[in-house]
Amino acid sequence: MAYAYLFKYIIIGDTGVGKSCLLLQFTDKRFQPVHDLTIGVEFGARMITIDGKQIKLQIWDTAGQESFRSITRSYYRGAAGALLVYDITRRDTFNHLTTWLEDARQHSNSNMVIMLIANKSDLESRREVKKEEGEAFAREHGLIFMETSAKTASNVEEAFINTAKEIYEKIQEGVFDINNEANGIKIGPQHSTPGSPGSHMGGQQAGGGCC
Amino acid sequence: MSKKDNCETPGDLSKPQEELTAQPKDSSPVEEKPIVTEPVTITRKRPESKSSSLSIEEEESHTSDKPEQDSAAKSPSSWGYWGSWGKSLISTASATVATVGHGISTAIEKAESTLGVPSPVELSFRDQPEVAEDASTRESAESTEGETSSPISGALGFLSSISTAVQSTGKTVITGGLDALEFIGKRTMDVIAEGDPGFKKTKGLMHRNTTLSHVLREAKEREEQRVNSDVTTETERQAHYGLLFDEYQGLSHLEALELLSKESEGKVKSILGALSGEELAKLKQELESLKEVFSLEEFDDDEEVEKGDEDFIKELSVLFQDLHISMRPEKLTNARKAAYRWINKVEEEEKKLMAEEESTDPKEEEQQKYTVEDIHESAIRSLAELTACSMEVFHKTATLILHGEASVAAVSRGKALSQMTITLCKEISQLSKKITTLLTTSGASEKSDILNPLITGVFLEASNSASYIQDAFQLLLPVLEISHIQSRT
Ligand SMILES: Nc1nc2c(ncn2[C@@H]2O[C@H](COP(=O)(O)OP(=O)(O)O)[C@@H](O)[C@H]2O)c(=O)[nH]1
Ligand SMILES: [Mg+2]
Repeated sequence: MAYAYLFKYIIIGDTGVGKSCLLLQFTDKRFQPVHDLTIGVEFGARMITIDGKQIKLQIWDTAGQESFRSITRSYYRGAAGALLVYDITRRDTFNHLTTWLEDARQHSNSNMVIMLIANKSDLESRREVKKEEGEAFAREHGLIFMETSAKTASNVEEAFINTAKEIYEKIQEGVFDINNEANGIKIGPQHSTPGSPGSHMGGQQAGGGCC
Repeated sequence: MSKKDNCETPGDLSKPQEELTAQPKDSSPVEEKPIVTEPVTITRKRPESKSSSLSIEEEESHTSDKPEQDSAAKSPSSWGYWGSWGKSLISTASATVATVGHGISTAIEKAESTLGVPSPVELSFRDQPEVAEDASTRESAESTEGETSSPISGALGFLSSISTAVQSTGKTVITGGLDALEFIGKRTMDVIAEGDPGFKKTKGLMHRNTTLSHVLREAKEREEQRVNSDVTTETERQAHYGLLFDEYQGLSHLEALELLSKESEGKVKSILGALSGEELAKLKQELESLKEVFSLEEFDDDEEVEKGDEDFIKELSVLFQDLHISMRPEKLTNARKAAYRWINKVEEEEKKLMAEEESTDPKEEEQQKYTVEDIHESAIRSLAELTACSMEVFHKTATLILHGEASVAAVSRGKALSQMTITLCKEISQLSKKITTLLTTSGASEKSDILNPLITGVFLEASNSASYIQDAFQLLLPVLEISHIQSRT
């Protein structure tokens, strides 16, 4: 399926905050409460539409454990967006945000869009971190913020899509150099330069020409 | 840190904890049934392991520009090498057009016939003489003629050529069945290159020294695009190896493995740079012996009995034990099981049909439940899935090696990985042979210009699969190097 852009995302945050569940909810629209720990990194992909354009999200879901940190750092490079996740029922996961953010900023490109996600919003009764605290942290560090539940799917789509919108806007503004793949953005096939196969068919092809 | 964290050390064999059982998450369904035509023609003779390169060189001497073949052969992983080598072969192909003229219409076919290639049908028959006989009595004599291969319209996605082009193989010498596959793949890309603008573009990319997965992704995207633009022949609904490989996350695993490999390589370099004198010499020597493990492995799979699911699973688990890595590659073994289950089902169906044919009215038209196109598509899917799962295995192995302490010598791990590479390549080889045999029996009544491209396509993608696997293996070398260095201190 043809797409206008491909954005690479990375999901980071402490172990157990629901990173893998968020990804599964986004790609498969289901919640699987018990599953294996992530080793290093797992992948998911989904197509979304922004501004009438097909955008493929290629998502790297990392392992949160400290012991994997040096490995997962290798994956930050070349990501256009990051979802930094904490668990509203565990204050320690909120306290660790600063470390995660430093890490991300240090090992990624400076334009990477970071979305702060306060997950498990369905567990209101066990809440340890107020929404306002998350919002304040996000404001202070220039992040987008959203409370989600991978379980009820609340705001999950929005989190992934809003991040993409932000990236898309940055592209429109010319902030991102889309020709540099280190930015985690790829132009889709139909934008290909003259001379490459299929360029004769123009840029307005909607994709999905088969079936 | 939760207590869960502790159970992810690779050495902990009592607690298998891998995530290889997860389902592919790519949910874009549009990639499911791509349609395409690819006007590429390939028929090739199975080479004797040595004479193949000879015939190339013979041809070289007819062409004016002498390629840097020799020096290039020593560094097969450099991109530039492929460029020049490709060019020289293309000129070979063109020269052939001028000299050989048996009424075959395109340069590609000429090049092939010069290389002395039998029809793919013959290729697959070699392992199944009794089937060949059987099939030829069923009016497919045309397809078994052998040397005079008829022009066929191809089933090759041009990704075939790309991924073979970027293979950094050559370090792993494989004889036997896969040698043929290797041969086909390598030569094919050069021959195809001539008529393929997309490929030429990718060659440019290669000169830019881009990464393997990058080139593959580019290639895949152009293939995707072509799928979208070629809305033509619905009848030729041919499977797309590259798209499927990506769908099964093979490309992502390869990319991630590449990142780990590069990172490790950088670390090794800086460590070496900081050493001097005897210390440096000693470490270099140690790394050299590790490198050797990655350089030469031969196997011959010609006379092997077919491996079953259990044998395969057992072999893998022994290898993971040797690696001291706790991993149950269930995705891989399940993919294999599914592939064989499907083949068996089709075989059963075939047998039933044959039995019916004998007992009932012979004039009654065969009602094939599975068409050769079905078989081909399933074959390509299985190959793509098995290969993607293999990428995952190598990627996860790299992760776990970097993650844990080296509880075992890097050289032994290297040997186990080399064995793993062979096991996986044999698997690919066995599967492709089995499927092409099935295609030949199933398609006995088909015209060779329908059947040949399908069979060739399977062999080619099998060759690609083997290349991917061997490339992934090579990417583990720096990982083992850094792991070795870290365990010394
Ligand atoms: N109630 C609730 N539980 C969640 C939610 N997201 C994840 N979980 C649970 O949290 C645990 C850890 O989730 P996982 O996705 O593996 O976390 P990861 O380590 O960040 O990948 C699992 O047991 C999930 O069932 C959520 O939104 N609501
Ligand atoms: Mg996880």
